[in-house]
This record gives sequence, structure tokens and C-alpha cells, in this order.
Amino acid sequence: MTAPDPDVSPIPYSDAALEFRGEIRDWLERNAPDHLRGVPVPRVPAPELKANLDRWADTLTEAGLMCVAWPREYGGRGLSGVEVALMNEEFARAGVPRLTRGMGEGLVGPAVIAHATEEQKRRVLPPIISGEHEYCQGFSEPGAGSDLAGLRTRGEVDGTHLVINGQKTWTSGYYKANWMFCLVRTDPAAPKHRGISYVLLPLEVDGRPNGVEFRPITRMSGQALFAESFLTDARTPLDNVIGGLNEGWRVAMTTLGSERGGSATTQHVAFERQFWRLVDEVRKRGLRDDVRVREQLAWAWSQIQVIRATGLGLVADLAAGRSGQGLANGSTSKIRWSEFQRRLTEIAMDLIGPDALVTGAGYELDEWQDEFFAARSHTIWGGTAEVQRNIIGERVLGLPKEPEPAKGAAR
Amino acid sequence: MSLAITDEQEALRETSRRFLAAASPLTRVREVMATETAFDGELWRRMSAELGATGLAVPEEFGGAGLGFQEVSYLAEEAGRALAPSALLATAGLAVPALLAGPGDARAALLPRIADGSAVVSVAWLAPGASWHSTAAARASGGESGWTVSGGFSPVLDGAAAAVLLVLAEGPGGPAMFAVETGAPGVRIQPLPALDPTRGLARVDLVDAPATPVSPPGSGRDVLSAALAHADVVLASEMVGGAQACLDMSVAYAKVREQFGRPIGSFQAIKHKCAEILVELEGARAMTRYAAWCAEAAPHELAGAAAVAKATAAEAYFRAAAENLQIHGGIGVTWEHDAHLYFKRAKASLMLFGDVGAYRRRIADLIGI
Repeated sequence: MTAPDPDVSPIPYSDAALEFRGEIRDWLERNAPDHLRGVPVPRVPAPELKANLDRWADTLTEAGLMCVAWPREYGGRGLSGVEVALMNEEFARAGVPRLTRGMGEGLVGPAVIAHATEEQKRRVLPPIISGEHEYCQGFSEPGAGSDLAGLRTRGEVDGTHLVINGQKTWTSGYYKANWMFCLVRTDPAAPKHRGISYVLLPLEVDGRPNGVEFRPITRMSGQALFAESFLTDARTPLDNVIGGLNEGWRVAMTTLGSERGGSATTQHVAFERQFWRLVDEVRKRGLRDDVRVREQLAWAWSQIQVIRATGLGLVADLAAGRSGQGLANGSTSKIRWSEFQRRLTEIAMDLIGPDALVTGAGYELDEWQDEFFAARSHTIWGGTAEVQRNIIGERVLGLPKEPEPAKGAAR
Repeated sequence: MSLAITDEQEALRETSRRFLAAASPLTRVREVMATETAFDGELWRRMSAELGATGLAVPEEFGGAGLGFQEVSYLAEEAGRALAPSALLATAGLAVPALLAGPGDARAALLPRIADGSAVVSVAWLAPGASWHSTAAARASGGESGWTVSGGFSPVLDGAAAAVLLVLAEGPGGPAMFAVETGAPGVRIQPLPALDPTRGLARVDLVDAPATPVSPPGSGRDVLSAALAHADVVLASEMVGGAQACLDMSVAYAKVREQFGRPIGSFQAIKHKCAEILVELEGARAMTRYAAWCAEAAPHELAGAAAVAKATAAEAYFRAAAENLQIHGGIGVTWEHDAHLYFKRAKASLMLFGDVGAYRRRIADLIGI
């Protein structure tokens, strides 16, 4: 048996990748703000923390560390999934958040880069990097959730513009957004996947509202982090249609299949911290010798190790120039971590016991109560656990689709 | 070495898969499971000669290929997929790591016999009629002039196929591992009819059987622990392969079996079962790969990773095997159909060395909660 070697890595990073890691590590040593080290970032940060995070985002932007997976020619760094993973590892190591430009970086950018015209790329991408344009998502509708292609919000061509009318919902991050990327039906006569366009819509034009009204939806936790969106004659130039009129479904699907790697090797870090906080709660309550409690905690630990091993295996394969096939495709990862969080937070509530039954004044929730509620939405947003199972069954395993009840045009 | 599979490992895996499909199809497995030892000696000889299977992780100086535990793991995955009645778990999972964990001349005597396929070697430590935590009350006595061991062990993996057994026995200086030739006087081996008829189990009784120490006095439990951590990885690998075989069977059947005028795989009730199996299987495979990597590159992490891999693969395999029966409907619960062979292997493998709860309690101890 060989002796433990602290330098041995499960991932065969190339010399160039390791050099890049060195650069990031040096840069973080010089620039990572001490007041952000090890500080948890809640869903809605308090004003002071928010200001610090904004400053940190500016620093990252100036250093060229935003939208790093985008090509260099559009202001990114052209990093591969493996390099993004390395970068995330270094940020985790330094204990500072690797801030991103949210949905603009992760969803709009990849779709624009894959499908937009050169002119659109030059116009749309820079303000996402700078933070000037913040996007919220207008995909789901009251009548189009899992069956997203059943959406009915209309987009009608009026000269050089598209005029949009309809209703979107579950619009997260609406309160900080100034743009919306949305799917609208531009050809009601076409089969339902064919008549959809992918559109970028400004929420204000020349300082005036552009026909988008948000009505916040209060979640069961008491917070309003998303909204219903009512679009009334909202106008956007046809230049803001990405990938061509009626070609939007293809564009939206690209968005959902961006490059793999990324957070695969660091996703477990937050889960491990959460796990040890739960162990502390258990110790405080004198439950650590309870066999059932120990088994439940060991189950949770095992799940986290599986999440870690899956990510390490994926990035190791990618770094070795392999496909990483059969490891952490989007749907299996989503099911794994979301259902883990759901069960873990249930267990946490049980273990914390009587204290978990009491909230702060004004229904102020502690970490465990908040995560317990939040976990219920993780298996719904971004494609429900059931839709993910359909995707796995049909696209990975090749099982036949369910017959369509009615063919032809959307209503 | 890294976690990524290499071209050589990929080739080993594909060669093994093709070899086992031809040399050990399920029709052959059924013939072997009807025998007393449930061990395919001809297959073992061919696995040794044609795949180098018996000496993969045996160092070159002892006649092996000097490869690592990742190779053993990939081979075990294929053996599990084929339900091959081989002694891979006993020999490569338990015996070789036990011999490599302890110093001693026994290595030089035994490893070449394992590597060339001439000897199946297993490890015996469980007390008959007791729990997985038990160790047999076997005693070793002797000294410079020679040793003998007395005691009973059951169940012993592939005990009836073994030429040599490494047995845990209490000596004057504490527990140690001793090698016993099964052809020697004072050795009685009784094959046991097994719930999983594709894996040989036996009861072993020793009465003053001649023995050779293969670990220093007092080291027996440490050697056993090291061997078990490696066996966890081999067993987890087998279970990953078995689970994959079950998923493949389920999906193939769900695509062609029609009810209510359409393939049953188009119903979410069936589709989602298959998807869930895949999610668990993928996690088990990744964890097992990681544990096999630990065996070579991060030995201080091995015990924990191997325990997580074993428990995770056990749950994935049992679910895959049980749902495979369910998806096949009535035909799935017949003797004629192969689904029950995997179901029995899955349950027996889940239970081997301790059930999932026992592993969780061990994991809790290992991470210090």
C-alpha cells in the first residue's frame, strides 16, 4: 500500500490547466476580500452584504472573471467545463463566492452565442458581463408549466417590432431585472413546438415602463422571490428575436444544455458545510449516540459523497478528453441533489425537534426551516422531478414517448 | 493514476465483457449453480489464462500483472454483469489484499499460485450461526516448529473451491491470519446450499489443521479490515455490473412488451422506475470508481469511500433487481426467467459483510459523528 499523498488528484488536469489554477489562486490571494471569506450568501442578502457582493462582482468583472465560459471574442475567457471546475475549486478553497451574472450568464449567453447573429452577440453580451443588463426568465405560464411548449403568450409582428401580450409566471429575480428573456407564440397555426420565438424584452424603454407588470408571489416561506408577469403590448425590436422568428424552441433547448463540468466538483462543498452544521445541532441536543440518528446522518453523508464522486468522475473524464457519458447528465444530477435536499431537510427538522416548531416573530425562519420549505421547490423548478424522469427514460434509455393526446396546432 | 478510465482499462473492460458473454452465458451459469460448489473451475482457469484475471493486482515480483485495483474493479463489474460463478470476490477482493496488507513470506508462497490461477484462495473469519460482527472462536497454537489451527467458520466464500484458506485465529500473541491448505489433514469443508446459488458458500471446520502464519501476532483484525475494505470495492463493482444488467433487461422488455395497445415503457409508471434505477446506478458507479481510485491513490480514504460505495451499490442493485421482476410481470417471478438469478445475487450481495444499516453505522463511526 502506498503512503497518503496529499498532492494526488483524482482528476488528470493538464499542465496548462494547472498553470491556470496557479494564476487564479495567486489572484485570489491578492484580491479575495477578507470580509467575504467564509460568509454564507443567503438568497436575499442584507443591504450591507449586498453592497460588498456588488463590489466583489465589479472586481471580478474588471479582472475578466465574469462569464468565463463565453468565448474570448465576446468578452469571456473561453474556459472549458474543466477549467470552470478548477476555478470554482479555487474560489471554494479561498472561501469566497464565485459570483456570476446569473441567468444572463448561464442561460441567455449560451443561447445567444449559439444562435444569434454577429450583430446581436456584439450588442447583447457586453452589458450582461458588465452587470448593466440583468435578466429574468419568462418561460412558464399559468397554463404551461411542465408542458412548456403549450405556452400561449402572443407575439405579433408590428413593422419592425414584436408586440407581446400574455401572462408569464414564476418569474424569479424579477425585482432586480431590467430585461426579460421569454418564449412567445408567434405562429399560432403551426404545431406547438414550431410557432415559438425566443425574445429579449427590455422592461423599460427610454425610462418608461414597457408594458410588463409584476405581481409578486409570496412563497410558503413568506418571501416574495418570484412574480407573475403581465405583458400588455410590451414592445421589442425584431432585432431582439434570437435564432429567427418561430425558431425559439430550438434556442431554448440549447440554453438548457450548456457545457458540462462547471460546478460538478464543488457542488458538494456547500452540502458538506450544511451537513456538519446539522451534526452540531444533533450534538447540542445530545442525540449523537442514537443509532437511528447516526444512520440518518450517515445516509446524508453518503449522498453527499455520491454527489462529489459523480462530479469528480465527470470532470476527470472530461479532463482526460473523454465524453463523461453516463455521469451526471443534467437530469440525473438534478434529481440526485434536489431529492437529497428534500429528504435531508425533512430529517433535519425531525432531529432538531421541538425548536423546529417555533419561528421568529413575523414568521422569520431559521436556516433549517427555510431550507425545508425551499427544498420543496427544487424538485419543481427547471423541469419537475417527473419531467426529468421522462427525459432520462426517453433520451437516455430510449423508451418510447407517451402518445400525444391530440396532434396539430396549439389552441 | 486518476479517476478517468484509461484506454487500457476500457480495453480490459470490453475484452472481459466479450469473454464472459461467450464463456459464461446464463445457460452455463445455471449448469454451474446446480453443482455443489457453485464454482466454474474451467471458467476460472480461462479467466486466468486469457484475461489474466487472477493476477491483475498481484505485484509483478509475485507473478502478477502488477496492475491496480481500478482494473480489478472494472473486471468485477463485468463479472457481476454476467453473474459469473467465479472466485473473484474471495480471491481478488479478500485474499490478495489480506496477503498484501501483512508482511511475511506467505506472500511469496501464495501470490504466485493465485496469479497463475492454480489456487483459489479465500478468507474465513465468521463464526457459524452468528452475526456479521462476529469472529470465529478459532485458536492457533504452535511456534517455530509449526502451527495448527482449530475452529469452525461459516459462511466462507467459495470455501469448497479454495485450495488455501486464510483464517483468522487467536494465537499466543493475539489474533492473526493463518494460511491453511484445504487438502491437509484436519480440514473438513462442507459446501452449503446458498440462497444465491451463483456464489459458493461453505462451512469450514479445522481440527489441529496445519497452518502457516501470514500476518504478525496481534495484527489479524487490522488485516481483516484492510481486506474487507478492498472486498467492499470488488463487491460494489460486481453490484454495479449486476444493476446495469437488470436495467438493460428492464428497458429491453419495456420497449417490446405491449399492453393496452402500446409498449409498457411508454407509461410513466414504468419509465420512471427505469429512470430511478439509472439515477441510483449512476451514483453507485461513480462512488465505486472513486473508492477503487482510493485503494490505489488515497488509502487513508479507502475505508470510508468503500463503505459508502458498498452501501450505495447494494441499494442500487437491489432496487434494479426488484424492479426488474416487477417490470417483467408474471414471467419475472418464474424459475425459467433469469430475473430471479439477479434478484438473489442482489439480496445476497446487499447482505454480505453487513446490511445497509450496518454499513451506515460504520460510516458514522468512520467520519467521527
